[in-house]
Amino acid sequence: MSTDEPPLPDPQTLFECAPCGLVVTKEDGTILRANQTFCHWIGFDSQALVGRRFQDLLTMGGRIFHQTHWAPLMQMQGSVAEVKLDLVHHDKHTVTMLLNGVRREHANGAFNELALFGTIDRDKYERELLNARKLAEGLLSEKMAADAALLDAQTQLNRAYEKAKRRASFAEQMVAIVSHDLKNPLTAIKMASDILAQGERTARETKLLGHISQSAERAQRMIADLLDFALARVGRGIGVSPTSQDLHTLVRQSVDELRMAFPEATLLHQSIGSGNANLDADRVQQIIGNLVANSVAYGDLAQPITITSRLEENQAVVSVQNHGPVIPASLIAILFEPMTRGTDTDSDVRSVGLGLFIVREIAMAHGGDVSVSSTPEDGTVFSVYFPSTAAAQ
Amino acid sequence: MDLQHRNNARVMGDGPATLVFSHGFGCDQTMWRYLVDHFTGRCKVMLYDLVGAGQSDLGAYDKEKYNSLAGYAQDLGELIDEFATGPVILVGHSVSAMIGALVDRQRPGAIAAHVMIGPSPCYIDVDDYVGGFKLEDIHSLLDTLDSNYLGWSSTMAPVIMGAPGQPALGEELTNSFCRTEPEIAKQFARVTFMSDNRKDVAGLTTPTLILQSSDDLIAPVAVGEYLHGVLPNSTLCLVANVGHCPHMSAPCACSEAMDSFLSPWIDPHVD
Repeated sequence: MSTDEPPLPDPQTLFECAPCGLVVTKEDGTILRANQTFCHWIGFDSQALVGRRFQDLLTMGGRIFHQTHWAPLMQMQGSVAEVKLDLVHHDKHTVTMLLNGVRREHANGAFNELALFGTIDRDKYERELLNARKLAEGLLSEKMAADAALLDAQTQLNRAYEKAKRRASFAEQMVAIVSHDLKNPLTAIKMASDILAQGERTARETKLLGHISQSAERAQRMIADLLDFALARVGRGIGVSPTSQDLHTLVRQSVDELRMAFPEATLLHQSIGSGNANLDADRVQQIIGNLVANSVAYGDLAQPITITSRLEENQAVVSVQNHGPVIPASLIAILFEPMTRGTDTDSDVRSVGLGLFIVREIAMAHGGDVSVSSTPEDGTVFSVYFPSTAAAQ
Repeated sequence: MDLQHRNNARVMGDGPATLVFSHGFGCDQTMWRYLVDHFTGRCKVMLYDLVGAGQSDLGAYDKEKYNSLAGYAQDLGELIDEFATGPVILVGHSVSAMIGALVDRQRPGAIAAHVMIGPSPCYIDVDDYVGGFKLEDIHSLLDTLDSNYLGWSSTMAPVIMGAPGQPALGEELTNSFCRTEPEIAKQFARVTFMSDNRKDVAGLTTPTLILQSSDDLIAPVAVGEYLHGVLPNSTLCLVANVGHCPHMSAPCACSEAMDSFLSPWIDPHVD
């Protein structure tokens, strides 16, 4: 050592005023000596600490931890490092410290030598980290619970969907089978009454045979409607096979046939524009048949029913107008829903309230739509629109 | 299931009886090193780590199974079946003493005698029973565990300057001792300190030696006396010792008491 360096403070001062807490204990933790720095941090004076056990200065958690962890460690490996402990200050508030300790054997026995460092800010930061971790873990477990619930709901939904699909397919099949089975006896009834009508009959017999024939026809229409309804509502939907058709010719043919079916009504056909449209001819005839039958049932037969076919730039329109009583707005809103009837009184007139629903379903299967207006001046007008995306010419 | 691997089981020595050592909360089987040599010459000795502790297979840790001491008792029963021969004497420290009592209840006759070191059937005060702790003390412990397992101190045992005055420990042992996964440590702490096994020990007739430290925060003398009162074939032996690990800090007093208690099964003569 060179002589021009200033002399160091004495070891006593170095120990007492070291920039960390220094404590020497017996192996059982009894404090033999504590430096001023530690005494200052913990709020006790040196004399008050000597003879007390170091672990008694800790919070209860720290004391259990001491017993179960670092006391055995000191014994086993003779040292511990970076143990974080909360000590209870004389004023009862806690002081967080980091502890390094070593067990050292001297000639006169073994001692635990402890060095302690205040770690307030670091502790605060670590607690924030800890809280953030707890929060993240909480959120994670919430997310996992939500995922599990979602999966569960999806499974249930899939199961319900499969079940619904099976039911729909069953309903569709059942309706198809029943329709088919009913058609045959009806056809036989109709044929038999037609053959009977060809012979010489009394007026009364002719009238009765006419009733039989008409009733059979009505039953056939109802079965067809029912089949369409089942397809549209629970099955695959009403299928259409559009081809290019001369709209006016198609509508004229329909109107001609309907004149035969409804001799009591006056049917007028009006055509506007010219050209072809992409339509399923049978289905369009069904639409016109349904709308005309409705007009006959609910309209004023003293006035004509007008069927208009109109070709516009972007669409083909078929509308049917009658002059019956105005349909109330509340009924208009649900008119195209199944099982809806114009009035309750005409229970005899037609089917089970599926006609307009089927009209709309057919229009929609063509990519089109339907509308209705009902006023005292213009009467009631049902219009069906077919977009001409693939219209010929 | 490879039990040896799962519980890091080690079998040593040979003799007419088997001493099974089961460590407590916080450490692993290396805590028995001061006591084991005393017995290996005279009987078979088995050491193991509770799943989650020491060098047990952490992959075997199942949060559901180990959510009560019954899961640990199941393991101990399996280990006894697999490795023990002759009468089995279970040496259980702290919570392991209760794990042993559970095995005894589940499989009467499987354990011939218990040596319970610092046992407590219930750590928390309930009604008239004094366990020594209140619920908030246990929460305080969980907090301390939390702040010491943040990551930077997860090994809990870095040797800062060798181990002066200590016989050198294998590095393997040093690194595993007291090391636990933070989540496992917390669950084990909760399971240990919230357990109430008073019904399981009451009236257990298996011969039992209670090694009670004269000054133990975790298992106070009153708790040792309570156990002595409810275990009809028990011997209470007070060991002059401060702390919860008399088998480490007062191994001679412990082995002496054990020798005399174990004489029906193990020859007390020391070579």
